[in-house]
Amino acid sequence: MAARVRPPGTLTRMPDDEPDDSDDATATSVYGIASAVVGVIAVAAVVLSALIWTQHRDDADELRYRTRAMQAAAEWTSVLINMNSDTVDANLAQLHEDTVGQLNADFDAAVKPYRELVQKLQSRTTGQVDSVAVEYVHHSQPGQGGQPPPAAGDLAEFASRTDTVMVVATSVSENAGRDKPQTVRWTLRLDVSDIDGKLMISRLEPIR
Amino acid sequence: MRTAWRILAFDVAPPLAAIAALTYIGIALAWPMWWVAVFSVLCVLIVEAVVVNVVLARRDGVTVGTDDDGPRLRLAVATSAMATLVAAVVVGYLNWSVSDRNLRDDTAEVVGIATEVSEASATFTPQSPTASIDKATAMMSPQSAESFKKEFASVAKDLAGRNISAQATTISAGVEAIGPAAASVAVIMHGTQNSPGNRPDTAVLALRVLLSKQDGRWLVDDVSPIHSR
Repeated sequence: MAARVRPPGTLTRMPDDEPDDSDDATATSVYGIASAVVGVIAVAAVVLSALIWTQHRDDADELRYRTRAMQAAAEWTSVLINMNSDTVDANLAQLHEDTVGQLNADFDAAVKPYRELVQKLQSRTTGQVDSVAVEYVHHSQPGQGGQPPPAAGDLAEFASRTDTVMVVATSVSENAGRDKPQTVRWTLRLDVSDIDGKLMISRLEPIR
Repeated sequence: MRTAWRILAFDVAPPLAAIAALTYIGIALAWPMWWVAVFSVLCVLIVEAVVVNVVLARRDGVTVGTDDDGPRLRLAVATSAMATLVAAVVVGYLNWSVSDRNLRDDTAEVVGIATEVSEASATFTPQSPTASIDKATAMMSPQSAESFKKEFASVAKDLAGRNISAQATTISAGVEAIGPAAASVAVIMHGTQNSPGNRPDTAVLALRVLLSKQDGRWLVDDVSPIHSR
């Protein structure tokens, strides 16, 4: 502190009593800056945690959707492989209801072989789905260049997404005219489309 | 106005942020019993601190956020809240982001291994009868490899004796189920058998490949036909 000349008789504050404003201000500003830095880190942490949560929720939704798609394909196939000669019309109507797109338009032609087989055999069929999986890899078979496209073009307008599901199933047909039950092994590729939240079958491809 | 901001930034936001972060950690950990206990204790402490702050504010007219003589306490409060938020990010990253990414990577890996093993198990060349078996068993666990070799030794001998060759190519493959340490993959293949003097015999083969993760590596435990009959 600079010494100042004061008139005689004037009271002067003792040096100890004088507040050290500059030290306090410095300390406050250091704590202030530190608090600001902590605040910025906290805001960044909030943003990061929100991003992590959103990403995880999307991943969980995706897994839930795939499970629903597999369930829809399994239920549809279960009706297909359990058709009997007396229930074939009702079963096919039920299957038709759950189709969409090209398969829905050409449903009669697509299921004609199955209808004829069931009616011809006059059989009592019991089938079970052995395996269902969302297709992860697919290789076109050589010499089958004329495979139908994965998803019909017109479907893209109203289906939010389409996934291919592999279904492996076995059915046993007991024919009244034969002694030996006939085992049918099914290996199918089904396209499952999301139409306004409802999952419908948009393509049926037996793998031969 | 400045006082209002300080109250918001140091008296209101930190306890709310800390409780939200602790809840976030609980959700990420799926609320194990130990975290329920820790969460309860920490929440009680936070609420208690808020109550003390409010009571002292009513008595002295100054809060932690507006007290000019307590910058250290203010920084401590902000740092505690920030540390809880950072902990929430770390726990969320490890429990969600890392596990989701591992699941995606594992899915690709198990499908790749399953298709290779399936194709190898349905492929046979009389000139090198053990080649495809060796290729398949290289991706199997030791016990499975042993039983697989035993099972196919007699078949390979028979096929080699009759000069029959077989090839298989994958048509489709997908994961039936997968977890951090086990997976089941369905593989549909097109198999062709060639024997001298006969037309090639083709068939669709559907195999289920069971895998488990051992020491960070996916190994095949079993390969079996999917069709129940």
